[in-house]
Amino acid sequence: MGGLVPLDTEVNGERHRREVEPRLLLVDFLREYLRLTGTHSGCDDGLCGACTVLVDGEPVKSCLMLAAQVDGARITTVEGLRAEDGPHPVQQAFVDAEAVQCGYCTPGFVVAATALLARDAAPTDDGVREGLVGNLCRCGCYQNIRKAVRSVGGSR
Amino acid sequence: MTVDEMRQQPWVGRRIPRQEDNRLVTGTGRFADDVTPQGALHCAILRSPHPHARIVRVDVARARSMPGVVAAVSGAEAREHWAPLPPNFALPGIVAPRVYGLAVDKVVYEGEPVAAVAATDRYLAEDALEAIEVEYEVLEPVMDVDEGAVDWYGDGSPASPASPRLYDEWDDNVQVRYDFAYGDVERSFGEADAVVEARVAVHRYAAVPLEPRAVVAEYDPDGRTLTVRVATQVPHQMRTTYARIFGLPETSVRVLTGDVGGGYGSKGQADGDVVPILLSILTGRPVKWAETREEWMLAGPVGSRGYVHHAELALRSDGTVLALRDRLLADVGCDGVVRAIGLAALIVGATYIPGPYRIDAYDVRVRGLVTNKPAYGAYRGYGKDIANQLIERLMDKAAAALGMDPLELRRRNLLTEFPHEICTGPIIESGSFVECLDLVQEKMDLPALRREQERARANGRFLGVGVVSTMEPSAGAIPMSVFSGFESATVRLHPDGTVTALTGLQPIGQGVQTSYAQVVADCVGVSPADVRVRWGDTDAVPYGLGAYASRGATFGVAAAHQAATEVGRKLLLAASVALEVTPDDLELGGGTVRAKGSPGTAMDVADVAQRTYFQPGPYAMLPGEKEPVLEASAVYTNPEVNWLPDEHGRLRIYPTHGSGAMGCLVEVDVETGGVDVRKVWYVHDSGRLINPGIVENQLIGSSVQAFGGTMFEQIVYDDAGTLLTRTLGDYQLPNAASVPDIEVSHIETPSPITPLGTKGLGEGGHIGIGAVLLSAVEDALRPFGAEVLETPLTPPRILQLIDRARESRARESRAQTAGAVRDDV
Ligand code: FES
Ligand code: FES
Repeated sequence: MGGLVPLDTEVNGERHRREVEPRLLLVDFLREYLRLTGTHSGCDDGLCGACTVLVDGEPVKSCLMLAAQVDGARITTVEGLRAEDGPHPVQQAFVDAEAVQCGYCTPGFVVAATALLARDAAPTDDGVREGLVGNLCRCGCYQNIRKAVRSVGGSR
Repeated sequence: MTVDEMRQQPWVGRRIPRQEDNRLVTGTGRFADDVTPQGALHCAILRSPHPHARIVRVDVARARSMPGVVAAVSGAEAREHWAPLPPNFALPGIVAPRVYGLAVDKVVYEGEPVAAVAATDRYLAEDALEAIEVEYEVLEPVMDVDEGAVDWYGDGSPASPASPRLYDEWDDNVQVRYDFAYGDVERSFGEADAVVEARVAVHRYAAVPLEPRAVVAEYDPDGRTLTVRVATQVPHQMRTTYARIFGLPETSVRVLTGDVGGGYGSKGQADGDVVPILLSILTGRPVKWAETREEWMLAGPVGSRGYVHHAELALRSDGTVLALRDRLLADVGCDGVVRAIGLAALIVGATYIPGPYRIDAYDVRVRGLVTNKPAYGAYRGYGKDIANQLIERLMDKAAAALGMDPLELRRRNLLTEFPHEICTGPIIESGSFVECLDLVQEKMDLPALRREQERARANGRFLGVGVVSTMEPSAGAIPMSVFSGFESATVRLHPDGTVTALTGLQPIGQGVQTSYAQVVADCVGVSPADVRVRWGDTDAVPYGLGAYASRGATFGVAAAHQAATEVGRKLLLAASVALEVTPDDLELGGGTVRAKGSPGTAMDVADVAQRTYFQPGPYAMLPGEKEPVLEASAVYTNPEVNWLPDEHGRLRIYPTHGSGAMGCLVEVDVETGGVDVRKVWYVHDSGRLINPGIVENQLIGSSVQAFGGTMFEQIVYDDAGTLLTRTLGDYQLPNAASVPDIEVSHIETPSPITPLGTKGLGEGGHIGIGAVLLSAVEDALRPFGAEVLETPLTPPRILQLIDRARESRARESRAQTAGAVRDDV
């Protein structure tokens, strides 16, 4: 098992210094250690996107990354997107476009969509389809999720 | 419309944003796995690597001494600490195996729990599993049901299958036998102008909710109380079940279920989730189990699919259906009654095969056979899909045989007068089957699609169009089961004018919180924002039966409506005292009570409530009332459900029935076998809608799921019976790129038998999609003459269908040539 490794990371603007097991997954670090339970786990294999977080602004499946790998990095989880005065525009767009059913996939989609919109401020419908192909919604909200994302991006 | 007028409008029927969404989009929802009590241990379960084996020996001693391990237990050791899992229903013709949460001496599927560990951390618990030694005597697995070896008539012919038995105490591997006949089937077949036959088969696929199963069990040894937070659709039945299994009084067991990450039928039973509870009892510490995706794929319940029909339909030459015969055979995995709840779907299927058509002579036999695979769970559709798949394929086949337009054939047989008792017993209380078919045809612009198809064919491209009718029975109430079908609610108007509504129904993504708030708001004259709906705490809400069988908009809503109506009545009574106007002359809305026609005479609801509670109080405000508070409880049952079989052995377990029609356009690439589903049109009528946005999401969602199931999702084993689809990489789910656009249109024909005219919904996509996709693909392949009667519609199958069709054409033409040659001689 080996010893613990030091971890110094900023999560949602807050600095955390811990010693963690080398094998600890980022998703478990966020959920079990920091109690940031908005990041969900749906497949453990990088295939469903429910665990998506931003690492230095880039979307990452936190089930595929070790906590130790984010040493020195800045992480944003779904909880961190929220502004002081209310939900993030992407979060609000998911509500307005009726893009949520059970909501288990939603945090991952919101984070992935935020990253997508950062790359392309006004994606086409196909752009959204392709851009979100790494996230699964078993409730089948894709149609409204696309609507939500494009409503933020402005349609083209 | 002014804001004020808006506020007066009924809330039922309005597309308002969901109250649940704010927490879900910000990551502050509360799913079972989100809670980790102080000092919690983590459970890991050792599962059988064999589909069929005797357990010779299990040794957990070494695991016990691993770092962090607090407890380790084998099935044999656990045996004395719990009772077997109870069967979820006890219908005649069904047998239930005796099963414990951890297998004792035999395993019957790969993935069956055999031992478990509780450790201080999940990683350590998983490490410790490797130290458990198990010796198995491997047995030959039964991985398929043999269609040729089923004893349909109980006369021993053909001789009962030679396959090994799963359960030593059973005579054979048949878990359900159900036979039903009505009318003079023989004579009708004898008088028919045409008889069409079909073998229609659907493969095994599953619900696969994105949130796997999760349990947090907290046993308090001092108080002998047990609190279980669990991802379930049925918290109250879980309380009853846990109490029974662990020998605790129900008063000492509390089940908590907050947000649930999808269920679709799959989270309706106790199974592996009793293991962490046992470990909590044994250690006296909280124990948490959040299963991995691989565990779900290995041991989660599969959908109520995996069946084959052999059926015949008799018709007159004018298209009138005379009679129907079916032999329905299903592979129910290791069990569909105890470890999961899928088995009754076969009976539901048999009941609804006649579908929305007038069929007065019907004969059906059903057999569900056990195999060494995971349990047969409930999954959206629950047999109504099994029914629709068959009858709609038969309708298309009959149309072809009679040379009729398939929609015309349907129109000729669809029910048009209501209420109508179908031959299997259910009463179709109202409907719009013909109207749905007409509307879907119009929405699709069928003539334009046909022209497009022709043009495409001229260019060597193969488009196909399919249209089917759907009937969506809802609000199931199964006698002799934990799904017996009542629902409860309590509505409490507080002194400040806000309202708490407690429901026994369980939200699992279907918008219960918002829809129920809309219903209650109308009854007490406030806004839905002032109504807080609570659920899922068996200590706080009245005993209710939860989410299954599309019952939320009928049973759950009706109970809430009944209770809220009573509160509204008392509110008006109290207001009439305060305003000195008779209750009949008062109206509620927008947070006020006013005299009709004299808006000046009004009071805030909060004001009336405050006076009723305290100033001066109930004696003055609700004089003579038996319960002089602004609170009421109600239990709803539907009078159309019958509990005892009638003289024909018929049960009416679904009181409400939605109508629908579905169309789709596909393009088949005959080189690769790829099917591109270009568009789906869905016309749906589930009576009065409470919140159209919520309804549409469920219609589209269930269509997306069934699209995945029909096209590519499949559970696959290798020859040795080892599961191959163990990850979401192997088991493909629909994603943003693969799903077709689905256009939904509504017709609203109220149900005359529910208080608000609502019907249940949420399974309709599953009921129609399979048949419409098969129909459209068959249409695309018409130039080849291929029949499409089996799922999944994967490229290899499409290519095989084309090849077979080509071969049989070639054979036919060879035969013709040969015949021609002979004729010449
Ligand atoms: S849990 Fe990480 S992608 Fe599914
Ligand atoms: S909303 Fe349920 S999985 Fe997406």
